[in-house]
Amino acid sequence: MIKIKDIEKTYSKNSVETKVLRGVTFSVQRGEYVAIMGASGSGKSTLMNIIGCLDRPTKGQYELDNINVLQLDDDAISALRNKKFGFVFQQFFLLERTNALDNVLLPLIYTDEYPADAIQQARKLLVNVGLGDRIEYFANELSGGQQQRVAIARSLINNPDVIIADEPTGNLDSESAAEIMKIFSRLHEERRTIIIVTHDRDVAGNAQRILELKDGQIKG
Amino acid sequence: MTRVIRIIKESFRMVRNNRLRGFIMILGIAIGVTSLAMTVCVSVGVYENVMETVNKQGPDLIQVRPGTDKFNSPAAGSREAVSLRDEDYEAILQHIGNIDSISPVKDRKEIEVKYEDKNTHTRIFGVNPIWGRVRDFNAIRGSFITDEDVASAARVCVIGQIVKKNLFGDADPIGQTIQIMDVPFTVKGELESKGTSSEGRDRDDRIITPFTTYNMRVFRDSPLSQIVIKVKDIDKLYKTVEDVQAVLREQHKIETGEPDDFTMRTPQDLIDMAYGTSRSLIKVLTIIAVITLLVAGIVIMNIMLTSVSARKSEIGIRRALGARKNDILNQFMIECIILSLMGGILGTILGYCGAIILSNLDVSASNLTPLALAAAIVSCCLIAVVFGIYPARKAANQNPVDILRG
Repeated sequence: MIKIKDIEKTYSKNSVETKVLRGVTFSVQRGEYVAIMGASGSGKSTLMNIIGCLDRPTKGQYELDNINVLQLDDDAISALRNKKFGFVFQQFFLLERTNALDNVLLPLIYTDEYPADAIQQARKLLVNVGLGDRIEYFANELSGGQQQRVAIARSLINNPDVIIADEPTGNLDSESAAEIMKIFSRLHEERRTIIIVTHDRDVAGNAQRILELKDGQIKG
Repeated sequence: MTRVIRIIKESFRMVRNNRLRGFIMILGIAIGVTSLAMTVCVSVGVYENVMETVNKQGPDLIQVRPGTDKFNSPAAGSREAVSLRDEDYEAILQHIGNIDSISPVKDRKEIEVKYEDKNTHTRIFGVNPIWGRVRDFNAIRGSFITDEDVASAARVCVIGQIVKKNLFGDADPIGQTIQIMDVPFTVKGELESKGTSSEGRDRDDRIITPFTTYNMRVFRDSPLSQIVIKVKDIDKLYKTVEDVQAVLREQHKIETGEPDDFTMRTPQDLIDMAYGTSRSLIKVLTIIAVITLLVAGIVIMNIMLTSVSARKSEIGIRRALGARKNDILNQFMIECIILSLMGGILGTILGYCGAIILSNLDVSASNLTPLALAAAIVSCCLIAVVFGIYPARKAANQNPVDILRG
């Protein structure tokens, strides 16, 4: 469902050009669990942002469900992010002073098909990630592992085609990290498409397929 | 639930989440709107006052006085000038068609009046009934002089409260006979108490007699102190003013280019006069209102800009989760309008209180009119939009990746 071809990304700062991605080509099938691995500075976060339609490549082609993503305008891209993707970030990126439930409901503010049972759905998702007793807690009252589980519930609320996770365990202790990875494995069993970006070989080991990014290119 | 409603709900939630910011913004707006609401209340109050004066005297009224009010003209200082005479009045009656009713006015001060063994000195007026309506002199007991009294030159009079006290004490004066310059007059009414006029004249110390009686039986051949004309067709008011002026200039044989030796006063002059000092007060208040509203706007812009950079990650998260630029813009604008309206409501209440205080300080201020409310609400929304749009745009135009990376 994801077809990426010859993606290049160049950042220019103070008229110095840095080529972060140098022709990346790969595809991801529906239901696949893919890990993109690489050292810091290998361009893996940039690649993730491009896949998640948060950023645009300098060159290349990107097809998502046969849609030529790079031709869409900003509003259409926003709608695409809302409909097709669920994001899990290293820094969790929950809204502070906002309870777990409202955080999970956040993507639904921007949807065109607001479900009548949105709140029940959000509660169910929180129960599924083991936060049934933390629904009314503010994000800043939760531990890191709990916050990341709220973020996962949030990434699922719009029933996305692809879940994109950028170093989801990067800010967590090993115990919380293991729980988070268990949740991803379970989501994979539920036939969801998952793309996880990490520098951690153990985390990547959970995936079906590992793409290694080095010097802005997929290795092997 | 449509997207717009969801965003409005979210805006309310974010307003609740940022209380300090909200408080400062509300305060800023409230101060601006307070001065605006006060200005409107005072302006409306003064206007109502002026219009009440004009309507009481009649918007169809022309007054002619001898001499001139204008300081620098050659006739200055001739306020007591003997420039209006009975012949002038008769000429006006003869030549001017657009007259509903007219009253020549004569008066004299310090006239001796006797009742039995008591006497007093007071001011005597000779007028037609229209004068009482125009000047708002009404009888509270008995009746005012009538057209019949004037037609028959009846020896009747209406007395002010001071005259009543001096001559009758607590006794009933109606039907009694008093001597004015040794001419007997029957008291047919008592004037309601009016207190002191703005020029410091005691308006209760006077006696009103029919013009004809005054002219024929008391003071022959004295000059007119005023002519009051109520026009028939109000649309031709200013034409009639010109006509009267022409008649009088002809009567007085004033050469072209020479100034009038009389003064004409129209409702417009009354409006100008009634505004008086209030006009400069309204000007000052308006300037203050504009400045404070501008300051309020700058406060909004400043706080919004701070808020936009403090809430960068929130904006980035929303964008990543599918918010369009317009959704962010709308959210920030709605938050701004919510806070501005809250400030507006608070300011309107404070402004109303301020107007009440002002009205206790002898400035006429109206109640909180729909106009003041509407002005407050419209100005709030306007300020919110004008000063909020730049920060909101700035928020909307940020690149989600840049925000999330930062």
